[in-house]
Amino acid sequence: MILDNFFEQTKIFTTMKKSLVFISGLAILASCKPNLHSNTPTANGLNFSNYVAVGNSLTAGYADGSLYRSGQQNSYPVMLSGQFSLFGATNFKVPFMPGEYGYPSPKLVLGYTTDCKGVTSLSPVPYSGVADTAGSNTNISAQGPFNNFGIPGIRAVDYLSAGYAVIASSLGAPYAARIFSDPYARPLDELKRNNPTFFTLWLGSNDVLGYATSGGEGSPIPNHPNNISSFANFRDGWDSTFAVLLRNGAKGVVMNIPDVTSIPFFTTVPANGLPLDTSSAAQLNAAYAGSGMTFHTGNNFFVIQDVSSPIGRRQIKSDELILLTLPQDSVKCAGWGTLKPIPQKYILTTQEIQNIVTATNAFNQHIADMAVAKNIPLVDMNAYLKTISSGIMFNGVNFNTKFVTGGAFSLDGVHLTPRGYALVANQILQTINTYYKSTIPFIDVNKYVGIRFPM
Amino acid sequence: MASALLLAGSTAFGAGFQINVQGLRQIAMGGTGTGWMWDASSIFYNPGGLARMKGIQAYGSVQFLLPSTQYVETPTGSYSARTQSQVFTPFNLYVGGRLRENGKLAIGLGVYTPFGSGIKWDDNWEGRYSIQSISLQSIFFQPTISYKLGDIVSLGGGFIYATGNLKMRKALPVQDVNGKDGSAELKGNANGIGLNLGIHIKPSESLQIGISYRSQVNMTVKSGTASFVVPNSLASNFPNTNFRAELPLPQVLSVGIGIRPIPQLTLTAEANWVGWNAYDTLRFTYEKTTPALQNTKAPRNYKNTVAVRFGANYKVTDGFALMAGAAYDPSPVVNGYVSPDLPDADRVVLSAGFSWKPVSKLTILGAIEFGNSVKREAQYIPDNFNGTYQTKAVIPCIGLTYDFR
Repeated sequence: MILDNFFEQTKIFTTMKKSLVFISGLAILASCKPNLHSNTPTANGLNFSNYVAVGNSLTAGYADGSLYRSGQQNSYPVMLSGQFSLFGATNFKVPFMPGEYGYPSPKLVLGYTTDCKGVTSLSPVPYSGVADTAGSNTNISAQGPFNNFGIPGIRAVDYLSAGYAVIASSLGAPYAARIFSDPYARPLDELKRNNPTFFTLWLGSNDVLGYATSGGEGSPIPNHPNNISSFANFRDGWDSTFAVLLRNGAKGVVMNIPDVTSIPFFTTVPANGLPLDTSSAAQLNAAYAGSGMTFHTGNNFFVIQDVSSPIGRRQIKSDELILLTLPQDSVKCAGWGTLKPIPQKYILTTQEIQNIVTATNAFNQHIADMAVAKNIPLVDMNAYLKTISSGIMFNGVNFNTKFVTGGAFSLDGVHLTPRGYALVANQILQTINTYYKSTIPFIDVNKYVGIRFPM
Repeated sequence: MASALLLAGSTAFGAGFQINVQGLRQIAMGGTGTGWMWDASSIFYNPGGLARMKGIQAYGSVQFLLPSTQYVETPTGSYSARTQSQVFTPFNLYVGGRLRENGKLAIGLGVYTPFGSGIKWDDNWEGRYSIQSISLQSIFFQPTISYKLGDIVSLGGGFIYATGNLKMRKALPVQDVNGKDGSAELKGNANGIGLNLGIHIKPSESLQIGISYRSQVNMTVKSGTASFVVPNSLASNFPNTNFRAELPLPQVLSVGIGIRPIPQLTLTAEANWVGWNAYDTLRFTYEKTTPALQNTKAPRNYKNTVAVRFGANYKVTDGFALMAGAAYDPSPVVNGYVSPDLPDADRVVLSAGFSWKPVSKLTILGAIEFGNSVKREAQYIPDNFNGTYQTKAVIPCIGLTYDFR
């Protein structure tokens, strides 16, 4: 019946056929998927064929308290060279370590530790895997010159120091000795083996960091890394390095020095991290009667050593900082911070913080002035890392400076995770793109790893 | 442990989830259906028009929704991604009409799917911490009654019972020793109630006017399940738990008109006011919370919209007609809140279709809708996820009606 009707209505059939053709044509059109075009990346004349990164541990890819191969692979210079390779071949040489163990000491990983009270918790512990460091001591300068010239621990002042590699090795930083062609050469002279067409310069953090991470104690030995570098020495070292990089007319960027007091190494242990019950508070009030120190139920400020105080100790002030290296067992079970003052080397006092901030500001002012003078853009890493401390969101991931959970800082509380280094790389790219009017693609930060949690 | 904002941010249901495909002739005519009454799909488009149906009609149709979205990172265009192909099949079933041919009372039942669809990105894409995949399905059941006051005015109303389910997956930014992300899966059944009211005015054979109002339907997930895959060392921070959420499906006020200048040609126009601002905030409340797993309150800040639609129906012969239409459907999503789970943008819709009556009581309907969202460079501020999006969708549809009178 239906079929009969169908054939009777041949006219309709023809019309229908036409409309079906029309509709299927529409369908073909419609099934075309969206086709958004990305702009072609442009370097706007920048020459990346010999990119050289000069700096310290942050440039080397140091993380988790050590230098290891995958950390180097996830250094910001390697990330940048990957983006730069869009504009032509780059042979970016990195003085890779043989393995993942960490050199010279094992890297930190998250693991379980049991404290003096028998409480087990997750915290950074030395990596206990197989040492794959064989050959780490071998000098590999013949493979150089290295494009990643990041040398963990190096200061601006060291660039003019003959024999730096030997001295650094004796202080536990054998990195220059691995890659320098002459252990008695000044780092500046080793750097001259490179002829960059483009550079990044992030030097100067260690000119204050050593002072900070040793609790502001300083050293009577002149030019010791635990002292803040003198401005004149910093300026001479930094300027000479900058001049070497610029000597062939290379373009590049310079970074300033982050305010180290906002990193997890100094912000994790709270000044008022002493919880007391009523009876302990009463006992301490009795013990310290007349000293001006008071204790109450709840969180209290730790008792710290202070030689300038009449009784050699006082309570820490709310804006003073305690180092991440404070032995927690001594606090929990040996009376540190209460009846025994926390030694000064674990504390940055108001004055010590002031010394750090003053030096950092002076060094950064000089870096900014030099950048302007030489027409090289400045990446304000100091400002950027401060934004991280208040928390930044990137593609659904919140980064902040909380130890372990913040995602940007590695387990040593000073250096960055691969994701943290990627954030840094994007800041650099943004500055390059803005200043040189290039359109270099950003890095997918979340392609890299943050903190690794155990199973 | 772990950031408290892990689950903040995303999860949207909105304009992209509203699918205006509840009747084939109406789809083919740009989505117009409030003014001119054609068939039993009036139960959805304007219950006031059901009393115009001379007898009982059964109506069934199915749509094949094939959406495709592309994302390009901004500002440097370093990354591009496309959604995985998916086919969604919204459907409509209506039975209804006047109980007696010359009576005034009509009753009917509609079963239809006005909100549905979803999006599926590659698991490892750049936006995985905002969304990997999401799907929302809903079925509305609407018993309806309609009464003809006279030759000119008829009224109608239906009670809506809506049931549905939601499922979403996203990566969690906690990684194991191998660098593998954690993941979260949230799923649950939702239901809600509402009303669909309409008035239909037919001053003459060549003029029809309709007004309809569909109330907001609050779809409540009373006890969804949230399950997490994280490294063991974080397991206590992410307990599997139940959650509660409420998704308001917006109220819609429609005004439509149809004219028939010559017997073969019907022209329709319509405007829909959609109360999207009900979708101000999306809250997820978990039964168990931890410092890492907090209740979330994501700002959506949707704004109300007005869509405009135009259609034409040309009767080629008594048994065969062709339709075409166009619509402009602006996005309720304001700049700054365009998220990759619903990369919504203003849409331009073109459509066409046919109806063919091979035998006296049976009509076969075919339609195709071609939805093209404008390219939108957008941000999702809560996640700081930025990019340019474009969505295209093609919806071929087929259906039939059978008249019992």
